[in-house]
Amino acid sequence: MRSHKPAFLGLLTLALTTVAFAAELRPPDKVFAGADFAIRSVGSGQATFYLIGPTQVSKRQVDLGSDIAVHGAEVEKAGRYTAIVCVSDQCNSASFHVRPDQASRVSLLVHPSRVRVASPNAISAVAFVFDRYRNMLFTPQTIEFTVTPPDGKEISTTRPTDNGVSWIRLTSATKEGPAKISAKVGSAEEVRVVRQVASEACNLRISANWVDRKLWVQTDPVRDCSGNALPDGTIVSFTKTDASGKTTVDAPIKRGIAKVQMPVQGGVRISVASGVVTGNEIQFAGGR
Amino acid sequence: MNGTTRVALLLAAVILVMNGPQLRAQAKASLPAVHLNAEEMGPRTIEEMTSKSVPRDYSYAWQTMAQAMAQNRLDLLNGYFTGFAKDKLTKRIQDQKKTGVHVRYTDRGHKLTGLFYSPAGDAMQLRDEAQLDIQVLDGEKVIHSEQVTLHYMVLMTPGADRWLVRDLQTTPDVKR
Repeated sequence: MRSHKPAFLGLLTLALTTVAFAAELRPPDKVFAGADFAIRSVGSGQATFYLIGPTQVSKRQVDLGSDIAVHGAEVEKAGRYTAIVCVSDQCNSASFHVRPDQASRVSLLVHPSRVRVASPNAISAVAFVFDRYRNMLFTPQTIEFTVTPPDGKEISTTRPTDNGVSWIRLTSATKEGPAKISAKVGSAEEVRVVRQVASEACNLRISANWVDRKLWVQTDPVRDCSGNALPDGTIVSFTKTDASGKTTVDAPIKRGIAKVQMPVQGGVRISVASGVVTGNEIQFAGGR
Repeated sequence: MNGTTRVALLLAAVILVMNGPQLRAQAKASLPAVHLNAEEMGPRTIEEMTSKSVPRDYSYAWQTMAQAMAQNRLDLLNGYFTGFAKDKLTKRIQDQKKTGVHVRYTDRGHKLTGLFYSPAGDAMQLRDEAQLDIQVLDGEKVIHSEQVTLHYMVLMTPGADRWLVRDLQTTPDVKR
């Protein structure tokens, strides 16, 4: 009599293989970064479970037929994840997307850090919105940009994000000093400071005096057209033309004025310039 | 130098000359194709040099990332990644080393669309439609294989001599 044992074993193997093939993963439709969730598994017996995401790879043994718990710490980064379950050599997989959590961080780029006063559209502020796990949020958010000029009167405007980015252009104030620029989404706020400095000199004027037989030439207090004093160290060029030829002397502004002593021979003409701005010209018929 | 050595050297030189172009072609072939469409990008207008360097550097970034993932080499991330992108990939390679699981990418090309170029030129946001063959291996055993089109949102910032990938995030659907 022939034994039915081999046939039975064959059927058992086939059945087990079928079970293994049937191992299936069903992740939820919506998964949020950092939140615990479970992946439903279909099948029975032990299996190896893999989870591969943007920043992590994990591997562990699981029991098929029950929910596979995934800790929030395994899905902190938004993006595509692949879950794989393997029984012996048979593997099955499912992919799902983890969405960012709520907006809780703003990254703010402000340029330049130093700008001349009254410069139209000279400052740009770009804000990027992230969740607490540093995932960028591509769904529209409202950013509140606020500018606090040196005189302290705040100006605010709101802009929606487009693919996680929002930006504005600003004209610098007429008064020099630090301006605070902030971007806020929810309770998250980021602040940058732009130093607004005096613009080019305006109404640059010089005068000359003889002191101990030496000719001293000095500027009036050097200011821009908005009345801001040009910073100390700004170079002022004095040009002298006399019988010996043409000579230019550069002097830095100190305490608001620039001053030089110039040796002269006979008649002399002296002019002044700072950057691209030229000032008045003075003349003497003969040296003392 | 005897006659045999001379013949061997000559043979080696001939082989090198014949295979040189092929070797170069292979190196070039391993660099993924990247096409950039920057027509609607703003507010800053992209400079001609930048329109060439961004796809080139993005291509190198993907090439080095694929190599870093396949070989578990963190050092390969230094060239073209920075910020969050580098942090993410570093963490993933560390996990790959721990688990013995690694991912192999065969890159079939990228379509980049410029979305945003900051007024100061210090940040660029792009959308990438990437064609990839992905294999997941546990040791040497392939446990998962797929051919996919993935969408990435990419943030790039200029470095000293190249554009660096600062953030790389897959998205299920991207508007525009």
